[in-house]
Amino acid sequence: MAGYTENELAQDLENQEYKFGFVTDIEADTVPIGLNEDIIRLISKKKDEPEWLLEYRLKAFAIWKEMTEPEWAHVYYQKPDFQGIAYYSAPKQTKKYESWDDVDPEMKETMKKLGISMEEQQRLTGVAVDFVMDSVSVATSFKEKLGELGVIFCSFSDAVQNHPELVRKHMGSVVPMADNFYAALNAAVFTDGSFCYIPKGVRCPMELSTYFRINAGGTGQFERTLVVADEGAYVSYLEGCTAPQRDENQLHAAVVELIAMDHAEIKYSTVQNWYPGDKEGKGGVFNFVTKRGMCHTRAKISWTQVETGSAVTWKYPSCILKGDHSIGEFYSVAVTNNYQQADTGTKMIHLGKNTKSTIISKGISAGKSQNSYRGLVQINKSAQNARNFSQCDSLLMTDECGAHTFPYIECKNPTAKIEHEATTSKIGEDQLFYCMQRGISEEKAISLIVNGYCKEVLNQLPMEFAVEAQKLLAISLEGSVG
Amino acid sequence: MENSNKLSQFSRRFSPTEIKGLLPMADVARAFLDGNDFPTTRVERFKYTRLTKLANAQFASSNIALPSDYHKHQICSDAFAIFNVNGKVFLPDTNLPEGLHIHLISSEKSLPTSTVKDVFAGMNVLYAQSGVCVHVAKNRVIDRVIEIIHVCTDSFAGFSRNHLSIAENAQVKVLLTFVSEQTKECFSHVHTSIQVGRQAHLNVEKVQMESSDMFSFSDEEIWQEADSVFQINTLTLDGNLVRNDLHIQVQGEHAETHLNGMYMLNGQKHVANYTTVDHQVPNCESHELYKGIMDDKSVAVFNGKVFVRKDAQITNAYQSNANVLISDEASVNSKPELEIYADDVKCSHGSTTGQLDDEAIFYLRARGLSEKSAKQLMLTAFMSDVLDKITIPAVRVKVFKTINERFNWELEL
Repeated sequence: MAGYTENELAQDLENQEYKFGFVTDIEADTVPIGLNEDIIRLISKKKDEPEWLLEYRLKAFAIWKEMTEPEWAHVYYQKPDFQGIAYYSAPKQTKKYESWDDVDPEMKETMKKLGISMEEQQRLTGVAVDFVMDSVSVATSFKEKLGELGVIFCSFSDAVQNHPELVRKHMGSVVPMADNFYAALNAAVFTDGSFCYIPKGVRCPMELSTYFRINAGGTGQFERTLVVADEGAYVSYLEGCTAPQRDENQLHAAVVELIAMDHAEIKYSTVQNWYPGDKEGKGGVFNFVTKRGMCHTRAKISWTQVETGSAVTWKYPSCILKGDHSIGEFYSVAVTNNYQQADTGTKMIHLGKNTKSTIISKGISAGKSQNSYRGLVQINKSAQNARNFSQCDSLLMTDECGAHTFPYIECKNPTAKIEHEATTSKIGEDQLFYCMQRGISEEKAISLIVNGYCKEVLNQLPMEFAVEAQKLLAISLEGSVG
Repeated sequence: MENSNKLSQFSRRFSPTEIKGLLPMADVARAFLDGNDFPTTRVERFKYTRLTKLANAQFASSNIALPSDYHKHQICSDAFAIFNVNGKVFLPDTNLPEGLHIHLISSEKSLPTSTVKDVFAGMNVLYAQSGVCVHVAKNRVIDRVIEIIHVCTDSFAGFSRNHLSIAENAQVKVLLTFVSEQTKECFSHVHTSIQVGRQAHLNVEKVQMESSDMFSFSDEEIWQEADSVFQINTLTLDGNLVRNDLHIQVQGEHAETHLNGMYMLNGQKHVANYTTVDHQVPNCESHELYKGIMDDKSVAVFNGKVFVRKDAQITNAYQSNANVLISDEASVNSKPELEIYADDVKCSHGSTTGQLDDEAIFYLRARGLSEKSAKQLMLTAFMSDVLDKITIPAVRVKVFKTINERFNWELEL
């Protein structure tokens, strides 16, 4: 019996097509292409926004115009033409659905293909889904149940209308509009996103989940997510993404802000599987995301991500450990294949006393892809007894891919303890030999090793997500991972 | 406008180089300088190093009288000693063994093309005044150490350039000593290009003990051929702003590279170690170990890069940086990087920063050691794996003596 070799695996990886590439044919309401103050006013008007938000957008736009695109990341791509993008697109049917039955059947079909049949999720898993299809929320479930507890979970635009005081207070407090080029762009043109507020002492009884999907051609998505956990609250938030196959590059510049007040805990999990481009490296999504969380006293923020998609990824979910005894965690699996490029990692800014952070990053590069970890651990003077542990491992599947590590470690306090370690290797022949010697086929052995390699991160995902994450890994590295 | 004046003001005092071997690189170097100012902290390579003090420092514009007793700075008493005092080179007056050639760099026709990474390397190409060339012929084993002593006094500022070439199967140990004696600010930039031939063994010890007004920059660029073994130990014990840039190009298979570093600073001193190991061919290994003890308000920067090119399969590269902070205001910035384009490799790096373990100190004190001895024991143990790598006994003696004076210890070899 012919064994399954690494070369065959590499071949399979190269040949495999994007499984979720399909376009949903729904009439979309799109504003003219281009970006100027009028477009911003138009977006704001279409969304019926209050004056302060329009001012916020215009101020951000003024700042953005002065900024230049960052070039420090270890990625190479054709810069997007910011005037060639339609900045707003909403499905035509703007009326809100009273019940699940009212939802466009085609959209239901889309969700089915994504493997998140809503009915099933509602019934079986108890997950409330805020489904974002091209910028406007079309279905929100479990609203009532959450309402009883005082949990607010709605689209960002609904939050602007119904809870303006909360939005105004927290928006931009963690990621200021002038933070970076893409954050400023997002602040100027963001169309929708999710908003979540957990009141004092409430433990959110279910996983909150949003599925993002890029749909209409040529539409950049500028999502904005704001999650606020008030004192002593707990929430686990899931974000998952898939995008249809398309040839021109699509831009996605999202901003995610998390605020964990005293004693609160936020667990934010992401599975990202946007269109990575075909095997010649044509097309694919540009994913330039700013994610940051603020931890107050004894709060905890945990980021978990499984990144398998996008042509170019530029993403650093970060924690500002402002309060004493606060905890930040980052668990990541990043898989790149063909010509994908990923520059991802985290920033842990220690300000409070006895703050702790853990970073576990696992990179897998296949095909001709480039996978970089870039992280910052900063211990400031005030951060007495801060503790950090970082581990960054890279696995190389072919001889044409690259794996890179760029950790920045800055320590200004002698009581801090910082550990960082990184390894880069391919699947060891001795490991394979060990498995095969015990009667495991080569294919299964590779699968076993890759699975084991990612286990530390996958274990952090909520159960509902872990299944999908494993599926995604399997699809991304088809032939090896089961 | 104001800023661009700073660099041109600084460079105006230097006259163009007369070293012929540098002329082919002049265009590249000039491109680095044209219209440029001193790099700010927004430039990645200078992210943690502020150059304001250097930009505002006053240096002598003309020749400075040479001190008469510069010989006292020699560390290794039986070495072939070459002195570079304020840019003036004195070659050894003893007879050299067969196969060893030492001459001024100005008489060297061609020099290897070096990688210009920043304005300082650029200025070195354009303004290097002097330096020395050391050639070791094929199959020669030189049993005496070659020591190159750089001495700066008063408010000297200048660029020097050395070249070492070790031919096939030769072996030699080189000691680079950096000292200064002055009460005023000094600036020195020394570039050393090193060619290590097939099967050659070269051991370089670099001891930096310049005074606290010294801006000391040094670049070493190394080309390693097949089956060669190269080791460099960078020992930074003093200096106001010390910047070391080590660039190793591994160009022959089965070459072995060892980079070790130790830095121990107090006051408001700053040390930056930038290292690049560029693995261009398969079957090589590199080991990097840098350790530091930082006191008072001193700042350490470590930026180590391991670069494994596409064809460099079966590369083993290890990198480690450990730091101990023994004061409240010292700080460390560590950036160990891996950039890997080949798959059949084993590469790893580690970085740690912390203070002495209270429990370990308690353990020792419970057994009757004074707090001072307990700390001394632990810091020595921390440093020992780097100190053990020093191959020249006289250097070990000097380093221990300096550490003892610094901490008022009674450490024995």
